[in-house]
Amino acid sequence: MSCTYVLVCQNEDCKQRGSGELLEKLHEKLKDSGGVEVKPYMCFGGCQAGPNIVLYPQKVWYAGVKREDVDDIAAHAQGGATVERLTGGIDPSLKDLIYQLLDAGLF
Amino acid sequence: MRGCFEMHSPPREEGNANDTIMILFPEGKPTHHETFHEYCAAGGYQPVTKNILDEVTAAGLRGRGGAGFPVASKWTIAAQTEADTRYVVCNAGEDEPRSFKDRVLLEYRPHLVLEGTLLAARAISAERVYFYVNETYDDCFARLTTAIEEATDAGFLHGITVTVHRAPTVYVAGEDSAALEVLEGKEPKPRQKPPYPAVAGLYGKPTVVNNVETLANIPPIVRKGASWFRSYGTPENPGTMIFCLDDDLNCPGAYELPFGTPLPQLYENLGNGLKGGKKLKAILPGGPSSAFLPADQVDIALDPESLKRAGSSLGCGVMRFYAEEMCMVEETLRLAQFFSRESCGQCPACRMETTMLATMLERIQQGKGDAALFDQFQKVIDFNRGKGYCALLNMPGPPIMSALRLFRSEFDNHLRYGRCSEAQAR
Repeated sequence: MSCTYVLVCQNEDCKQRGSGELLEKLHEKLKDSGGVEVKPYMCFGGCQAGPNIVLYPQKVWYAGVKREDVDDIAAHAQGGATVERLTGGIDPSLKDLIYQLLDAGLF
Repeated sequence: MRGCFEMHSPPREEGNANDTIMILFPEGKPTHHETFHEYCAAGGYQPVTKNILDEVTAAGLRGRGGAGFPVASKWTIAAQTEADTRYVVCNAGEDEPRSFKDRVLLEYRPHLVLEGTLLAARAISAERVYFYVNETYDDCFARLTTAIEEATDAGFLHGITVTVHRAPTVYVAGEDSAALEVLEGKEPKPRQKPPYPAVAGLYGKPTVVNNVETLANIPPIVRKGASWFRSYGTPENPGTMIFCLDDDLNCPGAYELPFGTPLPQLYENLGNGLKGGKKLKAILPGGPSSAFLPADQVDIALDPESLKRAGSSLGCGVMRFYAEEMCMVEETLRLAQFFSRESCGQCPACRMETTMLATMLERIQQGKGDAALFDQFQKVIDFNRGKGYCALLNMPGPPIMSALRLFRSEFDNHLRYGRCSEAQAR
């Protein structure tokens, strides 16, 4: 069974907006969940819309994530529905670039 | 180092100024701490009868800080911008790795730099000048302070106020607008441009920010004339440049050579080649943001046009030579990590690009990446192009892309074995 990676941006802007806490909460929430790994990510380049979280290999980008969104994102990582309200606001060409980097193993 | 120079001095031809006396260091390298009296006896601080700006325009002097912008154009913009006050900043921030030419100029010829800065101020009608000096350069502070006192006592300041300010040792602090931020008491972070400093610089006033070496060229140009200055170098880049060689070479030091001088004059005759007689593998001719050149281009001429035609740049003249045994993956990674570390962090695109490129190289260096990563470098660079306030965003691209092109087999081996070769991995 392939692993789902929950990649939480930890660069400056996202961190200032609370991505450190999001990383901790997602870690806590998903630590016993088989097939899901929560990892910090260096930068997705979507700094204006952070905090940013990407689920891979699903290639779903969550922008402007708040602590109250953690449960829904954790549910998605465990096979639940995409959290549609958090999927807007990111330049498609940036998404394409980041997904190609993830496909090349950069995570 | 003096011994090196004597042993490997350039061939001299009678009547050829380019091979006899240089512009900034008569012997082509710093050999003697010039005193105030020596400087004056050689014609320093003499009354100026020429129009300074006209002479600098005719000389075709370009900035020596790396960008090569025409000096007279910058000065003309500052002079013609309506303002009640203008400023000149002599930029000796010098945080370019392995660069020390600002330091040697200020240590060995402080009056040359001071007079050049005062002449720049007179050319644009500035009443105040700032020396923005790398905070670790204690000798420079001492010699510059003494020089300012001597020139003041002799009445050579012509009413211009001179201030010496310490520059933080951060790479971006040497960027012209970041220097202005520091002078205004703020963090060393580049400003969004336009407006350029020549239009709205220090405290919003027209400000000329020039590198130390640039300003050191002004007194000789004004004293001896544009035609004399143009007898050095090439038509596009008149004059000389100080090149910094580090201790990878047998004779490290700062060497002044006319633009257009063949690189072997610097590398072999002055630098005396790599230590231990090692074979040359690659050249980084213009500091960490220039593209690598392979060893077979060692005969190239040292001028911006020739370097550009070869796909690289001359930058501010910091030359690095790599021995055959060196791992170019690790060397390229070091450069990428330098830019990642030195990004000031205010532009998201710069943060993302510099972090991403360094991480991608780190993966390859450790043998943990995917071959598909090779195709992503140019995409990351292209995506972020033009999205930063300063040039740092554009800097990692040339060394990385040239290294991938020239030394691809080393990158392939690192990706596969975590080493430069299969043999090393065993």
